[in-house]
Amino acid sequence: MKLFAQIFLILVVALSQVTVAPLFPIAGAVPDLMLVTILCLAVYSGPRTAMWAIPVAAVLVGFTSDRAPGLLLLAYLPLLPLAFALEEARLPLNRYSQVALVGVATGLWARSLLAFGAVAQDATFSPTVLVRDLLLPGALLDLALLTLVYVPFRLVGWSPRGMTLQRGHL
Amino acid sequence: MLIFSRYTWWVGAMIGLALLLTIASQAGILKPFQGFYLTFTEPAENLLTAVFRPAASFLADAGNLNDLQDENRRLRLENEDLQNKVTSLRQDAGRVKELEQALNITRGAAGGARLAANIVHRDSSAFTDVISIDRGTNDGVKTGMVVLSSQGTLMGSVTRTFSDRAFVRLITDSKSKVRAQTVDSKADGIVEGSPNRVLIFNMAQADIKVGDTVETLGLGGNYPAGLPIGKVSEVSGSPQDLFRKVRVEPLVRFSTAQTVLVLTSFLPEQIGLGAQP
Repeated sequence: MKLFAQIFLILVVALSQVTVAPLFPIAGAVPDLMLVTILCLAVYSGPRTAMWAIPVAAVLVGFTSDRAPGLLLLAYLPLLPLAFALEEARLPLNRYSQVALVGVATGLWARSLLAFGAVAQDATFSPTVLVRDLLLPGALLDLALLTLVYVPFRLVGWSPRGMTLQRGHL
Repeated sequence: MLIFSRYTWWVGAMIGLALLLTIASQAGILKPFQGFYLTFTEPAENLLTAVFRPAASFLADAGNLNDLQDENRRLRLENEDLQNKVTSLRQDAGRVKELEQALNITRGAAGGARLAANIVHRDSSAFTDVISIDRGTNDGVKTGMVVLSSQGTLMGSVTRTFSDRAFVRLITDSKSKVRAQTVDSKADGIVEGSPNRVLIFNMAQADIKVGDTVETLGLGGNYPAGLPIGKVSEVSGSPQDLFRKVRVEPLVRFSTAQTVLVLTSFLPEQIGLGAQP
């Protein structure tokens, strides 16, 4: 039942990413709803959920927006290893800061990769536009949305899970 | 790489899957699945759009209140001017029709059959500007067909079709290129989408002024001639420059458009090139 609910959530977010998010642009950028959803699934449901959610999300967003699913999969790919690396690094950061850092870093990577994907297909490249109009506002929007989603769940008592995979399972 | 050791197999598998998906996508293997998915999810997409679009329009209008008031004043003046021109043009049109009949001339493709379609969604970022519409191959829509606004302004062309859905690359997409000319000075060049959805009129050599109307030239076979694109909003560079930088403001407001017209009577001469105008 939980699995179906998670798949349904990813489907709704994939549809919202192309129907709802573009209706509310801020400084020309839109938040990456799917990135925030996958990150929250990884944090609150565990890394094993995110492991299958990432390819499913890439395919559904790719189908809905007619973007290359393979490129989207690579765009979301660093999320889990990055979260794990941060956790293992034992940096003096609280859990929210770690999650926010992972979200922003993956968002920057994802947007850059998709932009370079468009450039590879003959789009005109502009580093100024990439940084000023895509990466910076996108990162801020993702951070704001992540905070809006992450904090209420923490306040109602949901505990974030570790990113370490159990030995013997995977 | 040691710290990633437990994720290594997964990352490797995902890179392999990404490669497979790319190959499958390029080979068209995913197209039937995508077609089924789009048909299956269309009601939900329409519902989401119908629920959130009014709120988005309200917020956008509220944020641009001063601009809208200025635009309203300008449009009132323009409307009066246009009303006068319409009267004159009606008289000319009657005369042209008589002459066309007398000379047995048929009308060009720009005036041909048009199929109305609703915009389902818009995928817009700094480097891409694509919409999907609720018409597809079942309605006769084909790759390369030209898409216009409800008032007949060029919006883009169809890049991919499914049974009841099609994706349209807008002219503001940075991959879009349209052969065009100014109506008054007949300066011809290429209207290109550039990052941040700005239209640039490149390679035009004549004396171009702010306010000149830009329309399709018809060369290359991807677009019929005479479709309005936009008005010149900025000309920069010195008169000595071989090509001055000309910025074009589209006549249609892409962000608020809800309905488009697919020019079904016009097919590009080279479908392959038409997919990437």
